[in-house]
Amino acid sequence: MATGTDTDTLFGREAVSRRSLVATFIAVQVAAFAAAYSYGRPTWYAYFMVGSVAVTAYVLDGSPFTVATATVGSLLVVALGLPLFMFVARQSPSLVAEKALDPGVHRVLYLGVYGPLLAALVSLLLGVPLAHLLAEGFPGQQFVESLVDLPLVVPHSVAGIIILFGFGQGGAFPQISVLGSMVGMVLAMTFVAAPYAVNTTRESFETIDDRLSYASRVHGANQWETFRRVTAPLAVRGMITGGVLAWARAVSEFGAVAVVAYSVQFFYAPAGERVTAQHAPVFVYNTYLQGGLGESGAVAFLLLGVSALIFLVVRYLTDDDSVTGGMP
Amino acid sequence: MDLRADVSATFTADGADAFTVHAGVDVDAGETLVILGPSGSGKTLLLETIAGFHDHDGFVESDGRRLDTVPPEDRDFGFVFQDYALFPHLSVTENVEYGTKYHDETRDAETLLAELGVDHLADRYPPTLSGGEKQRVALARALAVRPSVMLLDEPLAALDVPTRQSLRDDLADVLADVTAVYVTHNRTTARAIADRIAVMRDGQVVQTGTPETVFERPSSPVVAEFTGANAVPLSAVPSLRDAVDGATDEYVAFRPEAVRLDGASGDFEATVERVVREDATNRVVLSLDGRTVDAFADDPPAVGADVWVSVDPGRVHPCSPGTTEE
Repeated sequence: MATGTDTDTLFGREAVSRRSLVATFIAVQVAAFAAAYSYGRPTWYAYFMVGSVAVTAYVLDGSPFTVATATVGSLLVVALGLPLFMFVARQSPSLVAEKALDPGVHRVLYLGVYGPLLAALVSLLLGVPLAHLLAEGFPGQQFVESLVDLPLVVPHSVAGIIILFGFGQGGAFPQISVLGSMVGMVLAMTFVAAPYAVNTTRESFETIDDRLSYASRVHGANQWETFRRVTAPLAVRGMITGGVLAWARAVSEFGAVAVVAYSVQFFYAPAGERVTAQHAPVFVYNTYLQGGLGESGAVAFLLLGVSALIFLVVRYLTDDDSVTGGMP
Repeated sequence: MDLRADVSATFTADGADAFTVHAGVDVDAGETLVILGPSGSGKTLLLETIAGFHDHDGFVESDGRRLDTVPPEDRDFGFVFQDYALFPHLSVTENVEYGTKYHDETRDAETLLAELGVDHLADRYPPTLSGGEKQRVALARALAVRPSVMLLDEPLAALDVPTRQSLRDDLADVLADVTAVYVTHNRTTARAIADRIAVMRDGQVVQTGTPETVFERPSSPVVAEFTGANAVPLSAVPSLRDAVDGATDEYVAFRPEAVRLDGASGDFEATVERVVREDATNRVVLSLDGRTVDAFADDPPAVGADVWVSVDPGRVHPCSPGTTEE
């Protein structure tokens, strides 16, 4: 299996040639899609993609097993990728530009990034200690694990209802207004996003060899200092990945937010005032209902672009393979 | 500083039976006690329990100060791990200086690294070091806090033979005046480093003594087996009964070095089962009533030959199965 080294990958090519190979493959795919789309036959591209993957696998590896797995795998990639390509290709540049200049859309995009960011931060602030505890192990752990993972299997509209029962009118904290508030929105997002922050961070803690903590403790550092100087720095990539996943999950959240905080008031920093807006997926859905596919597609395109940009920036900033908490 | 401990701790792991360590150590100031035992005998768990990494019953005491309720960071120990346990995100110097901010009396990292011959690596990071270099840095990290007791868990086990020999010599120098507990399964290392040896088996110490005592006079066949001595039932070698002066023990123990094979007569007759070339001589494995007896011979007899075996009577000692220290 691939181990992550440059020379021991499935196709056994050096890093530089592999990168140029990947770049060439992507360029060919884009050109093929553009040709098929402009000819009005995007289906041809689907066939081309499956066929080109099979041929590439055969040329690079030659093993029937690899060719078979690559070919079948490419079917899923087509199912996921083709709609995305079509989505991008079918946008009207003028409509996208119009939406990009619309102050109302700006507020939605701002909230679509800012709200999830708060949810990701809350998920990390509360999730990292829990993740550390889960990585260490404790009696009754399975019960807590199940509770943490519950939002992954609960329909999100149901999650919204649960939040309203728990924290809404007549709920546990009557002094906090949840329905239609920013607090409610962040709470709803945190409910569905926290499992990603907790589980990813926990996995990161679990890869750290116990003896690093032992070495820290026995040479004088207490538990806090050990966490600050050893465990947390070694798990920081996992925390950031968990935060990004939680953020991404919150960005895409529709059901729970639609139920709890359909429309919220928040401080809009660019204008320096409080404004009202909807979370982006809710806004996209509303635009679809009121303005049709074209208008909602343009807004969705902008949201997709902003999300992809933030995701890539964070991945770039955290791309560091030099730390090995698993020793030696 | 001395160290006395008598601890009992039970460990469980998924898919494995619970394992209990119930053992004690008694180390005088400046002494190196080697805990010698096969893999799985519990010696690492004993060391980690003494260090405070695991909950336990019993006591740990250093210079009369009870430590069993004291967290690891306040026990004033230094620890060297088999797999180094260097902090991968810190440079060599930062690793060595790691514990110094928590201690009043410390040693200079630069000087320590120079003494251990790795000062040229000061700015490097652990993932870029060889095994021997890592272990020298780990040793420097433990020494930097001037610990009252050094605990070393098979520090040479993961190293190649030349590196191991070189570091073993350095370790012997470093530990000369330090109170230390050194865990190993390697009897050559144990003999080279120990002031006293405690042999461990199944979570218990089965014999403690000087290297000469443990290797020459194993208290039981189990200890004999692990220290490389022969342990033979007296019923199989009745001619050696006089050598142990009528002792009532069921076994006699003697080292392969005490065995001679070149006589026309001897204490008993055995068949040469195998001859293994070792560093400076040959190890001859003899078969005696279905048991094996080891001997050394520069000029070994042929495999399959029946030979007379003589044992130096001054080096034959009684031993009993099931002997365990309290």
